[in-house]
Amino acid sequence: MSNSAPSSEMGKTSVVDALLAERRRQRGIHLVIVIVLTLLVAWSVDVTVIQDTDWERMGSLAEVLKSAGRFVSVDWALFPKLVEPALETFMIACLGTLLGVIICVPAVWFGALNITPFKPVTYPLARLMMTLSRSIHEIVWALFFVAVVGLGAMAGIFALAVRSVGFIAKMSAEAIEDIDPGPVEAIRAVGGNGFQVLLYAILPQVLPQVLGVIIFEWEINIRRSAVLGLVGAGGLGLVFFRQMNTFNFPGVTTVILAILAIILVGEVVSYFLRKEVI
Amino acid sequence: MPILEVRDLRARYTSGGPEILKGISFDVEADDFFAIIGPSGAGKSTLIRCINRLVAPSSGSIHFYGDDVIALSGRELRALRRDIGMIFQEFNLINRMSVMDNVLSGRLGYTGNLRTLFRAFPREDIKHALELLHRVGLEDHVDKRADELSGGQRQRVGIARALMQDPKLMLLDEPTSALDPKISREVMGLIKSMAKEFGVPCLCNIHDVHLAMEFCNKIIGLQDGEKMFDGPTERMDQEKLDEIYAMEVL
Repeated sequence: MSNSAPSSEMGKTSVVDALLAERRRQRGIHLVIVIVLTLLVAWSVDVTVIQDTDWERMGSLAEVLKSAGRFVSVDWALFPKLVEPALETFMIACLGTLLGVIICVPAVWFGALNITPFKPVTYPLARLMMTLSRSIHEIVWALFFVAVVGLGAMAGIFALAVRSVGFIAKMSAEAIEDIDPGPVEAIRAVGGNGFQVLLYAILPQVLPQVLGVIIFEWEINIRRSAVLGLVGAGGLGLVFFRQMNTFNFPGVTTVILAILAIILVGEVVSYFLRKEVI
Repeated sequence: MPILEVRDLRARYTSGGPEILKGISFDVEADDFFAIIGPSGAGKSTLIRCINRLVAPSSGSIHFYGDDVIALSGRELRALRRDIGMIFQEFNLINRMSVMDNVLSGRLGYTGNLRTLFRAFPREDIKHALELLHRVGLEDHVDKRADELSGGQRQRVGIARALMQDPKLMLLDEPTSALDPKISREVMGLIKSMAKEFGVPCLCNIHDVHLAMEFCNKIIGLQDGEKMFDGPTERMDQEKLDEIYAMEVL
């Protein structure tokens, strides 16, 4: 009986009409959304591209291609001069990561819910550290440290260290929150203190993950440190900046190739190291 | 004179939450191999974790060799735990450490932080650990990582770790539940003979009634946080078992 009732209702014109009206209404809404989005995009293009570009200076398409063409050549004479800045870039990345790891220790300790010493204060503090570190761009950090400690590699190292804390600490704290509580219970049961629990029950469980994260961050730091020189924080970026300023476009390409090379080295080393620890 | 006196022990995990233990009292003597049986959720794990204060009881008293366990904190509490070995259902070994380091971790209660940092245990600890590993039949696995061992072997490491503490009592929390029946019997037999040899009384949560009847001299039956039976194994019979496990049949 209850089965036949809806089937007889189904064919009724009123039901069909209601369904059609509803579908028309939804089409109308979709149309309005599409129109609004299109207008928004058009307005953005107008304001940021059409009005803001110096069309006369850019010239014709041929001239644009010609400008781009100036980069298609390599200044081989520059290569020997890049060795030292490349090494500096590499070392800024290494030391920045190392210092970052050291700063991470309190951030991880305070930022993992299951070990944080005084949750209402220490946990938000650690979260604040992590967010601050990540939400400010490394260039901005570098500008800050150049202003504080002056031009040179040290500003770059500080910038990378502070910038690295967010990711390393967040991932490590989450790894600690996810550990198997069994070994923690076992070490407490043998009469171990907090330090011994940390060393025996927590660290061995998270070490592979934490090392993986550190190596990953180191790889990213090589990338970051290559551009830090743009704001005077040492390394290849500074050479890049000089080539650009003296309109030596083949020199710019050379520096880009050098950056690419050390980033590739970093990626390969990182790949094998992470495979080793995980 | 009992070595462990538990009186009217009550425990709940959250204030206002359900009471897991509803006034448990019993005594453990120096030569007891004491079984706590009962269905899942009866409060067995909570009960033995109250003894070494991994769980804080809400009221009642526990006296261990005359010392008031409930009153302890900090260094004194760690000293109490050092005197009580514990063996776990899931072994709770440090998987990424060697068998040797796992057994040595039983000495952490006696070891300072600096020695812990460098894992620099004294010579006599290493010697004792080797002897214990020999006794539990793992002399060929000393340098293996704990997670390379089978379940039965891992529990043997757990036994050696507990005995490394020179315990005055051993708490066994379902020591054989993760093992197959044959290995379970071997492991229970090993625990019993080692406990006898080292003169350590045991308090053992155990799900398997047959193992309890075979290896233990006294039994407590728990059901829903209450003690349904307390006496020597001989006095346990099918009728009382049915009563204890009534909830499971339903």
